[in-house]
Amino acid sequence: MSTQVTTAGVFPSFEQVFQGFASQIGMLRQMAPKPTLTDEVRVQRAIDTLIAETNADEAVWLESCIHCGQCTTACHYFQAMGDSKYAPMRKMELYRRIYQREIGPFRWWYKLITRPIKLKDLEELQELVYDSCSECGRCTMVCPMGIDTASLVHHQRSALVAAELVPAELAALRQEQKQMGTVFGSSAEALLKMVATIREQCGVEIPVDKPAAEVMVLSSAVDLVGNGNGLLATARVMNHLGVDWTICSDGFESANFGLLSGDMSLWRKQVEPIVAAAQRIGAKTLVIAECGHAYPALRWNPMLKSDALPFDMVYMSEYLGRMAKAGRLKLTPIEGKFTYHDPCKTGRRGGAFDEPRAVLKAMDADFVELPSNKEYNWCCGGGAGIFLLERATKLRDESFKIKLNQVNATGASTVVVSCASCRLNFEAGRVKNHWDKEVASLVELVADHLIDQPAAAGTTPRQGVSA
Amino acid sequence: MSLLEFARGPAIHWSLVILVAGIIWRLLGVLVLTRGADLSRPRDAFGNFKGYRTVFSRAWPNGEFTTATRYQTIMAYLFHFATLIVVVGITPHIEFIESLTGASWPALPNALGVAIGTIALISLIALIGRRISKPEIYCSNLGDYITWVLIAAPLLTGLMTFAHIGPRYETMLAIHILSVAVLFVWFPFSKLMHAFWFVFSRAQSGLAYAHKGVRI
Repeated sequence: MSTQVTTAGVFPSFEQVFQGFASQIGMLRQMAPKPTLTDEVRVQRAIDTLIAETNADEAVWLESCIHCGQCTTACHYFQAMGDSKYAPMRKMELYRRIYQREIGPFRWWYKLITRPIKLKDLEELQELVYDSCSECGRCTMVCPMGIDTASLVHHQRSALVAAELVPAELAALRQEQKQMGTVFGSSAEALLKMVATIREQCGVEIPVDKPAAEVMVLSSAVDLVGNGNGLLATARVMNHLGVDWTICSDGFESANFGLLSGDMSLWRKQVEPIVAAAQRIGAKTLVIAECGHAYPALRWNPMLKSDALPFDMVYMSEYLGRMAKAGRLKLTPIEGKFTYHDPCKTGRRGGAFDEPRAVLKAMDADFVELPSNKEYNWCCGGGAGIFLLERATKLRDESFKIKLNQVNATGASTVVVSCASCRLNFEAGRVKNHWDKEVASLVELVADHLIDQPAAAGTTPRQGVSA
Repeated sequence: MSLLEFARGPAIHWSLVILVAGIIWRLLGVLVLTRGADLSRPRDAFGNFKGYRTVFSRAWPNGEFTTATRYQTIMAYLFHFATLIVVVGITPHIEFIESLTGASWPALPNALGVAIGTIALISLIALIGRRISKPEIYCSNLGDYITWVLIAAPLLTGLMTFAHIGPRYETMLAIHILSVAVLFVWFPFSKLMHAFWFVFSRAQSGLAYAHKGVRI
């Protein structure tokens, strides 16, 4: 088993969760919607989308590349495959061609010397912007021009949404979330059922739909349809802290397949009920579940004017870190040697570096950094929805070996992650490589090391062990 | 009109006009586009401002990438500085600049000029050698090679002119000036524009990441 499960037997181990997910993902491919538009319309919609999303920032980045090749070896997918088509600079070539033909300063010239865009070009783009770019941003760290390839890739995902070219698995989940509002069927009923199970089987209360609460906590589909331990751990930690918290059944889903697929309108639509619920209950803090992309979906949502909102949005690892620093988490020391994997979306592209480390420090962990860490961390290979793509299995498995070697180099026995998607990918890598390391979720690790004197709401904060 | 008169006269003057007009056109064509707004709250109230330091900090790759970038970074720096010194440091160039602008300054000794020009050419050859030997890393296109040839040509012809190698001096000088004219015409339409873009590109990314509290 990869994690310590306190309430043994109630919920499956994460290894079983991972296996369950693998079979569910297999079904997604049959559920994917088929294209309905003509080829010409699909191409035109892709071009229109890219033009609409191209501002001066994107134009400058597209103009700046000098083909110096530095980004190539910074990319884990190139490292894994050794094939130059995975070089980050090539993931913006089609975008540049469209930009040069349509809005660039010399468009009259480029219309003469470049080929018009065909559906086949967009079909070939699919592998480059979905399967082989997790939008992790590591290439930006080495680029002498500082080009933000990840955001250029994201715009191209938007274009492929318009062209009905989203990979089957993401397309199916996008459609489900768009039409039903659920992910893997994780409806409000599924939430209430899971909450009841946790109450009955583990004796842990989860306050649902309180009319007012200081802290609103999100869950995620991974918690609800598979890993009940994640929600259980969250509840135990929140109850331990004694804060006034709740989960809202009309805004609990962290996962956002608008962001992952590139569908900006679905991204916005999914965020609205969460923001509305937080405002209704007068929340001061919104805690985002350990679901990496939910952090940029909410906290760094460029379409959401968060300065005007009456609440803060924090990632689970950030929240735990702040509580640990404030001495409010009372934790037992932890045995063994630990390292921490920064998820791309909360690390390099999110900035939550210190807080998860503060949590491990509060547990007196024997902590050692990965050889490449924080801003320079290697992606695990499964981010930005890639974990779900069957076609990307080889890309994922090969690139994960970088991570595997880096963790091995630390000598740690456990690698802590704070992102469900990373964790699923680590689990896949652990099983496939018969890896002797443990993979632990930060919130579950904390829940397993709470010094639990029942903490009533409003309890004076206590000093942490070593925070 | 002799070849040299043509090179010194209409060729170099018109190429300069195209150079300046082309640069302005391309810069303006991009910079007049709207800026996308990120409405999310920055991590620190004044943190975004720190992003501008990326313009300077990215002048040298982080230690994380030393192994992969060392050769190219050193060669690129040698090439850029050596070329810059030769362009503004030797007597004939200063005289040309003086004829255009009236400004002038002391020149380097001839021997030093030749030595630095040679360094520039050798470092440029070292860079193309690496580009050709590792095609999967560089993903080169036609523009990369044209740009290399057009940059190498003035260096090579300049050294030959200076050392009186090849055709008669006047012809060699004319070829050198014409090679520069071709380079000037190519500049605004090519990746050589990175001489300007790098400031904007680095600043944009620096700001976008600083917004989230990340130092890149």
